[in-house]
Amino acid sequence: MKTTPLVELRDVTKEFHGNPAIKNVNFELYPAEIHSLLGENGAGKSTLTKIIAGVHEPTAGEVLFNGEKVNFANPQEAMENGIAMVFQETSLVPSLTVAQNLELGNEKLLSRLRGLYISAQQFLQSLNFEVDPTMQVSQLGAAQKQMVEIARAVRHQAKVIIFDEPTATLTPEEKHHFFALVNRLKKDGVSIIFISHALEEALAVSDRITILRDGEHVVTDVVSAFDRDSIIRHMVGRTLSHEIYGEAGDKRQARPMGRRVLSVQNLSMGGIVRNTSFSVFEGQITGVFGLIGSGRTETFKIISGVLKRDFFHGGEVRLNGKPVRYRVPRPAIHDGIVYVTEDRKLEGFFETKSIAQNIYSGLLGADLNRAPVISYKEMADLAEVWTKRLNVKAIDNNSRVIELSGGNQQKVVVAKALVQKPKLIILDEPTRGVDVGAISEIHHVINELADSGMSVVVISSYLPEILKLSDRVLVYRLGRVVEEFSVEEATEEKIMYAAVH
Amino acid sequence: MRFPKRLGSLSQEQIVFLITICMFLVFSLTLDNFLATSNILSLLRSVAVLGILGLGMLIVVLGRGIDLSMVANMAISVAWTIQLVRVGMPLGWALTTGLGFSLLMSAITGVLIAYAEIPAIFATLAMGTFIYGFGRAHLITGTDVVYLPAEFGWASAIGQGKLAGIPVPILLAIAMAIIAYLFLRYSKLGWNIFNIGDNQSAARISGIPVRPVIVLKYVLSGGAAYVAGLITATAVQSMNTRIVNSNMIYDVILIVVLGGVSLSGGRGSVRNVIVGTLLIGVLVNGMTIMDIQYTIQNVIKSLILLLAIVADSLINPRDEQTGQQGDI
Repeated sequence: MKTTPLVELRDVTKEFHGNPAIKNVNFELYPAEIHSLLGENGAGKSTLTKIIAGVHEPTAGEVLFNGEKVNFANPQEAMENGIAMVFQETSLVPSLTVAQNLELGNEKLLSRLRGLYISAQQFLQSLNFEVDPTMQVSQLGAAQKQMVEIARAVRHQAKVIIFDEPTATLTPEEKHHFFALVNRLKKDGVSIIFISHALEEALAVSDRITILRDGEHVVTDVVSAFDRDSIIRHMVGRTLSHEIYGEAGDKRQARPMGRRVLSVQNLSMGGIVRNTSFSVFEGQITGVFGLIGSGRTETFKIISGVLKRDFFHGGEVRLNGKPVRYRVPRPAIHDGIVYVTEDRKLEGFFETKSIAQNIYSGLLGADLNRAPVISYKEMADLAEVWTKRLNVKAIDNNSRVIELSGGNQQKVVVAKALVQKPKLIILDEPTRGVDVGAISEIHHVINELADSGMSVVVISSYLPEILKLSDRVLVYRLGRVVEEFSVEEATEEKIMYAAVH
Repeated sequence: MRFPKRLGSLSQEQIVFLITICMFLVFSLTLDNFLATSNILSLLRSVAVLGILGLGMLIVVLGRGIDLSMVANMAISVAWTIQLVRVGMPLGWALTTGLGFSLLMSAITGVLIAYAEIPAIFATLAMGTFIYGFGRAHLITGTDVVYLPAEFGWASAIGQGKLAGIPVPILLAIAMAIIAYLFLRYSKLGWNIFNIGDNQSAARISGIPVRPVIVLKYVLSGGAAYVAGLITATAVQSMNTRIVNSNMIYDVILIVVLGGVSLSGGRGSVRNVIVGTLLIGVLVNGMTIMDIQYTIQNVIKSLILLLAIVADSLINPRDEQTGQQGDI
């Protein structure tokens, strides 16, 4: 591998309004290698790759491409030179078909749809992607959108493809496809930069790994020099792995089962939730595992009133033995059922509002405010208490939530739910898009809640998280609970087997 | 630091306020009678109605909505009130009935938007047409213009009276602005309107009664429309229902957007509306003194509206790049 690097960054610094996002970073990418870029949220991974892809210009330092100094003014220019970036939020046109999106940017003045579809079909087949080129992009699932995006990069004969968290929205099976593709691209001589929060994936797929922390380069080495613990140590500057997910063979005692708080019988909604039945007990964490689309989120959204069950034969939900049926979340919150969403930006927080205002909004929603009018003092005191308890890091409590990192945003959303004094709290993917340091803090809070006697439901697609937190594990498949394990008997293999077969 | 650098990190409200001050100074120096107390009072008085309608619109827009039925609601409910007095109903009863009609109509609008989930722009457009048509056909008989009878008594002071030398409409507008400010800052309902405008799904999941709040929001704008209508009618001794066909509703949107209230909801305050109202007041008053034709005035106003909307989309963008979470 001692050839000239395809892409090289020398002492690159990028400042935003005087604050450096990355400082004096050196980075090399060799031809036909898969190079993972790891670091906590805010470590500067995205900034670094955006400099390579021509989105940002470096404040200082130089970028070399094929050994020559370059200065891409925009992503278009980088693309013409063979550098393509697949963004986290897809950049496809939802109202056009797959084939039209593939052609985007180099359409002819007049084009024939039929010809377009045929060539797109051939092209997608050559990549082994099962996507119908005549489908509108808005009708595709997340993984298929990702495939189209990748296909577009390949089509432009990119020499370097940058993936920014490509696997976050994929199911295990789709991930498998994705990594097969990445390996095939590598064989064809394409270099790949891979940003991910999933360390196992990075370890499995990469040739080399670079770790950033607080905008500074920490270490770059071949993959065999790392393991999980050493990566986390480099990422956060301390050992955390044990705190976060425990050792593989580490067995915990489950908390004793309390009173039956929630009992669900034959709950149904469309084709997504199908006659599911289960119970949730007090003083315990009930972990809910299932692949994306298995109906677990929808089930708990019905329980908390966010969605409605089928009108006919929709089943029954009993809270403390009494049948309940909520059409909106408000009465559920009054009864003590609080749902914390998996998509905090879409339905979690108020983006124009500050941390304090967001937390106070939760209090108002549950009608637990002391003064009959808005009390700015009560709001400040409340924010003070909760940001301290959950360790929200921000300049002050008047910072806007949208400006925080993912982990801190999640803590604000959790605080907003906890001020509503729930008896049953449902946390949907509580650590998605959250950095390693914040994960352990959020887990700590969740454990405290269960210890204090609350019923806690944690929905997660990440097995180590389920095993670390749960006292009982419910496994979802095709719209219903298919298996139940206690933590003593659960293993990753057993749970996965139940979720897939 | 979210504002584009080239605008010198000024908010739209500050820019509009500066323009107002500049125009005010230029008019004071170049136009003879502009700075006379009587002219300033008539300037304020001329925009008092617009300002009150703007406050109602503000409340609706903050919750990510729009109310195009305001002018129709104002014209018909007040014209009916006058009609009722003319046919002999006691003044108090007539005022109550008119207000009740206005609130009922806006409540129906609110229900259509909140429960039937019709987009606000279509629901209010349709309701505006319905109110006007229904009013002209069944409530107001005879002409387009309903004249104020002598029995209107004390209520005619609303548009014509003076208190300590200041016309009552100005005082009413100021009072309404203070009430709206306190409502938005200190009441739970006002707070919830902001939250719904910011993120409706998050508001729902947080336990905010989204639908009732949306209905109430339109009811409040109906109330503001009724007050504005009373001032209009008593000031000129009549209510001309043809006002519905004028472009007054666009002037209302103009002052709201001009002041820097974001049409995408959640962002704005009473101050924004005041600034927008003052700009239009100074502009129209100056142009009238300069004897610029009404049609040309409209061209100038519309250009300013376009400018304000462009500025709004530049300063309050909602696209992915700036809407992203802090990932730097």
